[in-house]
Amino acid sequence: MTEILIPGDLIEDKELLKNNRFYISENNKHYCTLVSLYNNRLIPLEGYWYPNIDETVVGIIKEVRNNVFEVDLSHFLRAIIINDFRNKLHFNVGDVIEAKVKAIENKKTIILIYPRLLRDGMLIQTKPVKIPRIIGKNNTMINQISSFTKTSIIVGFNGLIYIKGANSSMAISTILRVEKEAHTKGLTENIKQILQKELELTEK
Amino acid sequence: MASSLNKPELLRQDGKRLDGRDFDELRPLKITANVIKNANGSAYTEWGNNKVLAAVYGPKEVVPKHLSDPSKAVIKCRYAMAPFSSLSDHGRSGPNRRATEISKVTREVFENVVLTKEFPDTAIEISIEILQSDGGTRAAGITTAAVALANAGIPMKDLVYAVSAGKIKDNIVLDLNMIEDNYSDADMPVAIAPRNNNILLLQMDGGLTKAQINSSLDKVINAGKIISKIQRQALLDVYKID
Repeated sequence: MTEILIPGDLIEDKELLKNNRFYISENNKHYCTLVSLYNNRLIPLEGYWYPNIDETVVGIIKEVRNNVFEVDLSHFLRAIIINDFRNKLHFNVGDVIEAKVKAIENKKTIILIYPRLLRDGMLIQTKPVKIPRIIGKNNTMINQISSFTKTSIIVGFNGLIYIKGANSSMAISTILRVEKEAHTKGLTENIKQILQKELELTEK
Repeated sequence: MASSLNKPELLRQDGKRLDGRDFDELRPLKITANVIKNANGSAYTEWGNNKVLAAVYGPKEVVPKHLSDPSKAVIKCRYAMAPFSSLSDHGRSGPNRRATEISKVTREVFENVVLTKEFPDTAIEISIEILQSDGGTRAAGITTAAVALANAGIPMKDLVYAVSAGKIKDNIVLDLNMIEDNYSDADMPVAIAPRNNNILLLQMDGGLTKAQINSSLDKVINAGKIISKIQRQALLDVYKID
């Protein structure tokens, strides 16, 4: 049964609480803290990105210092890339990069590694809580969009998505549609049909 | 403000209030969530003749920096009445004593329900703008801001609502409008966390006996069920797909 829970709603199924931080416990009862979708799992519909190690992010270089690049991840935590003398990096302010989360220091600073410059392309911002749906189970959704539109898409868990390719406008509108309809059933199949129809129209 | 010797009648001959409501009847309430694109969360409320817009920004960097708290987020609240919101002067020369006070009590309401420890060293900004006022704007502001916070994805223990109770000729009334607010024997805005009915705000003008306060709180909690339902519906409507 699909149901939307709001802050303060009782969560009866304790199985839902595994790997979930969006609840509080009082007197052995558990209550929801975010607007969430209850559907065998508890999926937040609004909220923020809580960084985990090894997650991919997309960001913009906002400050260049002697040995540190500050990166804007559209997030309240500060993100940096340490410019080690062994791997001399050259980025300018405004460069769009892809990187991985190496560590979170003192719950305040995200340390990034393996930065890679993303040239040309387009950058869009989505809600970070919708990123798992945009990627899909085993990357099904994002692979589908990427192969149909023949674009290369890099999804950052922080909500920024980089798209490059001839058909990028179709990819953008599809991703924004997935973001809007993330909580609906049978979305992967729906998106497939929409993409097929649109491609047929453009070929004609 | 009128003196106590010069009070207009607040009850009609048929025993109802001037706008035809029963003693514990609320004014028509309509809430819409997610109305401002640039905000992280927002809500718009029409409560009788009150029109209130609330927006939430953050968590974001604290400015000035020395106000930041390394253990939790700082909540900043700004309640403001638009210059055109009522017949008397408002907002022409920055925040006045009243706006500063309401901003403070509203901030304290949300400090009790928002899980601020999730966002250390940041600020969560709540802006409440009264576009049209007709009594009970602080209650309308809190009710709207709660929906805006939930819409912003800020984790909260509960979805707070607020409503005012008062006294007209020994009758306990709910949701006072401007005239009732000005001339009633008592006015008591209350904010409640509905899950366990914790009182987060209780202010009072005028005088009420202990029994009258208890009776008022019972009526507020009963009316709160209707307000909570409308708040919930506003949040659910955001995810409606045409």
